[in-house]
Amino acid sequence: MGDGFLWFGFFFVLLQTDFEAEPEMSAPAHNTRRYGWLPATLAVLLVAAVAWSACSGVVKLAPSELFGSDIFLNLRLPRIIVALLVGAALSVSGAAYQSVFRNPLTDPYVLGVSSGASLGAAVAILLGLEARVWGIGLLALVAALATVWLIYRVASIGNRLHTSTLLLTGVCLTLLLSAVVTFLMVLHQDKMESIIFWTMGSFGSASWFDVALVAPVTAAGVFVVLYYAKDLNLLLAGSETAQSLGVEVEKVKRMLLFFTTLMVAFAVSACGVIGFVGLIVPHCMRLICGPDNRRVVPCSILGGALFMLSCDTLSRTLLQPAELPVGSLTAIVGAPLFIYLLYRNKKSY
Amino acid sequence: MSAIQLNNLAVGYGRRTVLSGLNATVESGGFYAVMGANGCGKTTLLRCMGGLMNPMDGEVTVDGRPVADYSAREMAQRVAYVQQRPLTDFEFSAFETVLMGRNPYQRKLQNESQADWDIVEQAMRQTGTWHLRLAKLDQVSGGELQRIMLARAIAQQTPVMLLDEPVSNLDVAHQFDIMDLLSRVEGKTILIVIHDLNLALRYCPRLLLLGDGGLVYQGPTADGLTPGNIRRVFGVDASVSDGYVRFLH
Repeated sequence: MGDGFLWFGFFFVLLQTDFEAEPEMSAPAHNTRRYGWLPATLAVLLVAAVAWSACSGVVKLAPSELFGSDIFLNLRLPRIIVALLVGAALSVSGAAYQSVFRNPLTDPYVLGVSSGASLGAAVAILLGLEARVWGIGLLALVAALATVWLIYRVASIGNRLHTSTLLLTGVCLTLLLSAVVTFLMVLHQDKMESIIFWTMGSFGSASWFDVALVAPVTAAGVFVVLYYAKDLNLLLAGSETAQSLGVEVEKVKRMLLFFTTLMVAFAVSACGVIGFVGLIVPHCMRLICGPDNRRVVPCSILGGALFMLSCDTLSRTLLQPAELPVGSLTAIVGAPLFIYLLYRNKKSY
Repeated sequence: MSAIQLNNLAVGYGRRTVLSGLNATVESGGFYAVMGANGCGKTTLLRCMGGLMNPMDGEVTVDGRPVADYSAREMAQRVAYVQQRPLTDFEFSAFETVLMGRNPYQRKLQNESQADWDIVEQAMRQTGTWHLRLAKLDQVSGGELQRIMLARAIAQQTPVMLLDEPVSNLDVAHQFDIMDLLSRVEGKTILIVIHDLNLALRYCPRLLLLGDGGLVYQGPTADGLTPGNIRRVFGVDASVSDGYVRFLH
């Protein structure tokens, strides 16, 4: 458990370091902040986190017994992989949303997209589509896309997105949609493992089946965001500027919103709604390596996977044999950070 | 040869028509002042020429080809556009912002080359913004911001530049610097929205004067800025002599 706090320590150190203090520039290195160490560090930490997660739990396993153990092969390993995939998917989606909506406070959870997906997934389960491989994911996707579309329509005034409307709409939708999910769950308690699973998220039921569903979708979504990383930078300068600098703005926005929402929908159908991952991970990366999405996105893949796996491992080891909802752990870290970001934003205007 | 051709153009927002029945020819290599009262459609006209909004009627052609037929990338290699009020609420430095002007020449997943960096440095030195290269856009003054944006348009290396009020926030010395710089550029077609009648008379050989929802005058600036036209467009009495406008208000 002690080493668990190391991971949190790592993120807090990232937050507190003064990364704004840039070294004096020497031509022609105009804008290259040193950041090469970041992906390397994240990769090393990720490997360590996987090893830590594989060995710890109610049943302690030595590294040598891992591959002979059913617990590892059929319970922990798929759980680890799903956590890594979901962490990467949520973080990359958050990074993309923040650029597309030109707002540092957006992520799939804040905008209510995750809640939309969870409603879709819940409806699919109640309709008995569980057995069909893509049923849950598909309905989650439809509901999540509808949520994004609604938010976009409500918050866009002229050709700008209105910041406070965007956030307020997201908050309202999150509350509304999760209330509907809770309502459905109470009416059909027999069909649910627990309400908490959907409202706070859990990797407790992750299986190889979930891996098979989430992996291809996450791979596709991450690739699309990486492909458009430079366009994301230009979108930050505004839609009109981006268009005049050669970005097919509408097409790129549609592609990005579709694929990121796809990732979120499948992540949610595998593990319920987990908040704040998509918000804090890209921000931590941005604090270190600057605003360029060609750095932020790859680092968010690693950082998101690392953060999600660390939270999940803590959730099942902190109070074992009891399991904490992983969403509560990410919220404990994420909510204060969200407030801090709001505060910092306030000061800069 | 004409760089931009407007054929019976009508543009507006929603149901509101801003300009209609507009026919104009922008000659290749010309330096044009686009003038008119506030809200008369100068920005709208520039956005239309840059392919950033679709006409309600008629068409805009660039190099003889309708704007609607260009991809964003092709358009960005021909026409640079600088907004009047660029957004500054993001974290990129001035250098990174000017570097974005090289985007039309890069493929997806391709990074900037040394050549791009050199072009950017040259553009920033020309506009006197090189010392600001590490500054964030919300840390520079209004005039510095305008010069950084002009540097981006220069780095874009397009045959046509559309600049919406590039000198409105500049001090007198920088106004002259920028206008000198723009008039020294050879082979480029430049349209600027400008409010200072005397600066336009001194630097811009050609004029597009907008008013009454259409084009009031196109032609040599000296012939267009007559007391009659100034009265008609701005509602202000003025006399013009020796290439200077004197207001009688």
